[in-house]
Amino acid sequence: MSTISTALRHFKEPTKDQLTHIYFSIPLSGSGAINETNNGQEIEKMDISAVLSLGEAEDSYAGKLHIIPPYLAFSSVDKKSVKFTVPLSTIRRVERLNARAGVYALSLLTWHGMKIIVQLTSLRPTADLFCSLLRDALKVELQRGQMKQVKTFVKTCYSEVLVSDSSSAPENEREDGSLEEKEGGSQDIQYHGGLGLKFKFPGDPKKLREASKIKLWTSYLRTHGRNLTLLRYPQCTRLVQVGLPNRLRGEMWETLSGSIYLRFANPGYYDRLLEENLGRTSTSTEDIEKDLHRSLPEYAGYQSPDGINALRRVLRAYSFMNPELGYCQAMNILAAAILIYMSEEQAFWLLEVLCSRLLPGYYSPSMHGTLLDQRVFESLVQRYLPIIHEHFQLVDVQLSVASLPWFLSLYINTILKINGEQLLQIQDDGGFLNLMRDYFASLGDSAHPDSSDPRARSITIFQELLLVSFREFSIITDDIIHSERKRFRGEITHSIEAFAKRGAVRNLRSLGRFTKEQVGVIYDALYGAMCIVPPPPVAAPPPTLFTTGEGQEDKPETRIGLRTFRHFLSEIATWARDDKIVMNGFQQRVDREVAEHEFIDRLFYFWDVGCHGALSFQDLVSGLDGVMFNDLMENIEWFFNLHDKNKDGFLTKDEVLTLSESFLFIFRYEIGDAYLGAVSRFMTNAFEYGDALLPQPESKDGEAPSSPLPIGTNQPYLNLATFRMVVLADEVLESFFETDLSESFKLEHHPELDIPPSQSGLLGDLWSSIATDSNKKIFNMFTDELGKTIGKHQVVHKPSIGRYTKLEEPKARESLLTPTLRKSLSKASLSGTSAASSTVAASSSTSTLSVNTTLEPPKPVSQVPDSASLSALPLLKAVNAAALMERTPFAIDDVKDDEDEDEDEDEFDKDNDDRVLDEVDAFLEAHDSGLTDADKQVANDLLHAEPLK
Amino acid sequence: MSDSASGSADKSVQVKLVLLGEAAVGKSSVVLRFVSNEFQANKEPTIGAAFLTQKCRLEDRILRYEIWDTAGQERFHSLAPMYYRNAQAAVVVYDVTKASSLEKAKSWVKELQRQANPNIVIALAGNKIDLVQPSASSSSSTSSPESEDEADDATATPDEAPPTGTEPESLRQVPREEAQAYATEAGLLFFETSAKTGEGVVEIFTEIAKKIPIEHILAATRGNGARSASGNPRAEGSQQSNVNLNEDPNKSKDACNC
Repeated sequence: MSTISTALRHFKEPTKDQLTHIYFSIPLSGSGAINETNNGQEIEKMDISAVLSLGEAEDSYAGKLHIIPPYLAFSSVDKKSVKFTVPLSTIRRVERLNARAGVYALSLLTWHGMKIIVQLTSLRPTADLFCSLLRDALKVELQRGQMKQVKTFVKTCYSEVLVSDSSSAPENEREDGSLEEKEGGSQDIQYHGGLGLKFKFPGDPKKLREASKIKLWTSYLRTHGRNLTLLRYPQCTRLVQVGLPNRLRGEMWETLSGSIYLRFANPGYYDRLLEENLGRTSTSTEDIEKDLHRSLPEYAGYQSPDGINALRRVLRAYSFMNPELGYCQAMNILAAAILIYMSEEQAFWLLEVLCSRLLPGYYSPSMHGTLLDQRVFESLVQRYLPIIHEHFQLVDVQLSVASLPWFLSLYINTILKINGEQLLQIQDDGGFLNLMRDYFASLGDSAHPDSSDPRARSITIFQELLLVSFREFSIITDDIIHSERKRFRGEITHSIEAFAKRGAVRNLRSLGRFTKEQVGVIYDALYGAMCIVPPPPVAAPPPTLFTTGEGQEDKPETRIGLRTFRHFLSEIATWARDDKIVMNGFQQRVDREVAEHEFIDRLFYFWDVGCHGALSFQDLVSGLDGVMFNDLMENIEWFFNLHDKNKDGFLTKDEVLTLSESFLFIFRYEIGDAYLGAVSRFMTNAFEYGDALLPQPESKDGEAPSSPLPIGTNQPYLNLATFRMVVLADEVLESFFETDLSESFKLEHHPELDIPPSQSGLLGDLWSSIATDSNKKIFNMFTDELGKTIGKHQVVHKPSIGRYTKLEEPKARESLLTPTLRKSLSKASLSGTSAASSTVAASSSTSTLSVNTTLEPPKPVSQVPDSASLSALPLLKAVNAAALMERTPFAIDDVKDDEDEDEDEDEFDKDNDDRVLDEVDAFLEAHDSGLTDADKQVANDLLHAEPLK
Repeated sequence: MSDSASGSADKSVQVKLVLLGEAAVGKSSVVLRFVSNEFQANKEPTIGAAFLTQKCRLEDRILRYEIWDTAGQERFHSLAPMYYRNAQAAVVVYDVTKASSLEKAKSWVKELQRQANPNIVIALAGNKIDLVQPSASSSSSTSSPESEDEADDATATPDEAPPTGTEPESLRQVPREEAQAYATEAGLLFFETSAKTGEGVVEIFTEIAKKIPIEHILAATRGNGARSASGNPRAEGSQQSNVNLNEDPNKSKDACNC
């Protein structure tokens, strides 16, 4: 009934390369279907120090110029003043400038004639290399025909219209930027726009000062490039803070988020995606249908089929492109809002950028991104608004109950500060929410209604909010958020996994005779195995068979394949793994390998009662339930059934042979020859009795176990009663079936499943980077080699059962025992096992290495480290022993260093805070130079204009 | 501040109630009907959860419902514990025109009985009965412009063979008797409601009010007040153990039954 996902476990921090891509909003090349154009020809990336100048009006900025084919990108030294990302295909000419000696400068001319001058300040050979790379990259773009595409693409951008005819907007444009219905209607609009063009944009155009904004932006776009070629100077940021004109809004969103590059690189992808998936249904599409009429229903556009259909197409297309994410409520509201300003295709790509880059994991099925950011938000409140945090703690208010919806629908979060005083009076969650609701309702109201100054009165609460967020919280940078995310990721992953585990356990149809804790251990083993060998993607039933009325069968269930099963079983059953105890003088460790044998495969298909070719969690629990609580008789029967392929109650001769092989497999690492002897006696007896019981003795030559038997006798040969008799004739086999078989399945907590709490300190990072799996392997190999050279290397296989070590003469035995007696015995031994496992857990938590803890009392090999203390500790001890690190225990070091670090950080933060605040003030004051006086006036006025509600 | 809290507690009892159920079964609409006696045809889906309050008079007591209206989509499921923690009552809603929504409701009940407050009062509500009522009521209903809403619901639930019962409607997928039987078995209050017409909505909340152990809550809130003032957890702890002693045997039986 449930799906189990290991996706969170595989999270990797982005590489430096990826971070650069993210910083420049360049689509990541790894993102599957999206980047189909990037075939083969890998051109090197390179960055170089450079000084950027653009015409007279702008200052020059020093920074770094990057070639990231097929893009050219620049960022100023401070990382925020100036930045651009330009597709190489928009560059028409590159010239080396004839300047003074020693100056290496390039002039880049874009297709619309904007000239960018970059002065390469690195050494001459580096600059030469950069130029040749640039030349190659440009050539590739030309060959791909991208240069030609630019012209057709830019026609879809409104900014081109804005820049081209200076005689301003088309006559039928209303004041708010939407279009009047015209009689002729033949005038075809080539640029992309949203529903707003037809259904009007929200807000009062007079208050929004559309006209002035358009004017300001037009002049900026003329000089600084637009759409694909937009260069971001400080003035651009300013203009964004002032506000975007409605018609340009969609395009600026697209440009600034970088989704425009996706649209440019994948022409026609959106339409094709819809076409290919026409009429397809899935859980996501059903959810989408439910919400279509519930997305901004007040807006006129969503009361008509036009708007609804557009919304449906965009959401559907996204769910098809990213089936793993599918559709999450709140995306409908997001998409509906975007679609007012953007065309479907634009909205589709913006949605992609939002979901995968800007809000990673927010809308995923586990919503880990949201939960993570909730945690980060709480910690930031704690750090920067400690009084409010303390109050919330005192009255037990969970901040996230209110902030979750904000994050999902992208509200802004500065509200706590402004409402600080009222917040301190709140007593419970509910009051908190009410206050927030009142506040949101009042966003459009005046912040200073009693002020005598009319200009002060026109400042809305929303503007106040923006001001506070920019001025007072600009110390909370992306970097802080990133590091906080890193800090809490483990915790969140853990809690989501714990929740999924609880849900999976709860959703089981039957726990069998297990306790919840034991089932939890089974789940952990399954989960661990899935991390190593991910199961095939959950196959949804074909759409034609999809009927929602059935209820039960709707939800796909996670099922694991044979390979995952082997890993799973190796966690549970002692004989399903090869435990090699390696001793090399430096360390003693257990190398665990997953065993492969027909017996395991047989078990897999035996447990697959539904014949799916795969096992669900329930199958595993039921399967284990079928063997772990058995007494002697039940175990013998179980083993018999396992090998009775056609379930006719008889084993064929071949099946007797495979059964013997199974014995040999299980006993393969037993010390001494007791088990070997037992199996050989079993075979002798089995064939003896089998032949004797045959209705007509057909072959005589199968009596001796060593001589080859006639192959392919498919007729029934050995029944359960005979099998039982043969087994009970042997003491070793009897004890195997009596307790050892059931006990060879062990439900004990495996320590490797715990995610180590991610430490933020330097040592924590250091340790986690050292203790990767591959490094451990290298270390192990290294010590092995050393051990071999000094002659102390030794490998011993850990036996799976380990009861008998000596061959004993078969004794005469009574053939049957009272089953009740047996039962009570096996129960007792089961509880004994669980007690043993709890001691193991306890011992593993202590920091000293407990080598001598043995699990089963009669263990042949002493000095076997139990599996619980396997992971890091032996390594650590070995490191100590090898005197690589002459220090007192590691854990104490760790803690102490962390504290130091924290103090440092705090001090640093204080300094930093002041500095950053100064910088921000300076930023808000300065940078007025780019505007003419008249424009400056307009811009000033606009600062106090009405916001978009 | 503890003064004001205990003062209000003397007059009215605060009851935390949570709404759970599949997406688009009408949880928010039921609450909206109860709280402000309104109905919106196309209500925006709830993101995370919404919070509303409403007072409800029961004999000489006034109950103040603090209603947590949760999001229904499956992926919000993991957030639900945050909202049902400490809840004294829960309304689990399903859609009578959608059989799968009852299954989801059952799983919510199961979760609540295992994870939530042990003496939580749970009510099961089959919503949207206006869609399956005989023509008499639909002709009398004044809200003709909302017929669009009905069409909407019809598309949300794919065509399904109508149950061959005696009821005249074709849209119903969950027979009243079936749900009633389940509710009795699991020890739940049961109602069929229509947020659109208002039928049965207030009844849910009054019946819950009758069933809730008000004295316990009063004691608990006093305990909480004392705790937050002096940081003394003893009051709450003893309360907790009382409750467990009284209620546990029944509850654990319920949990085993399903």
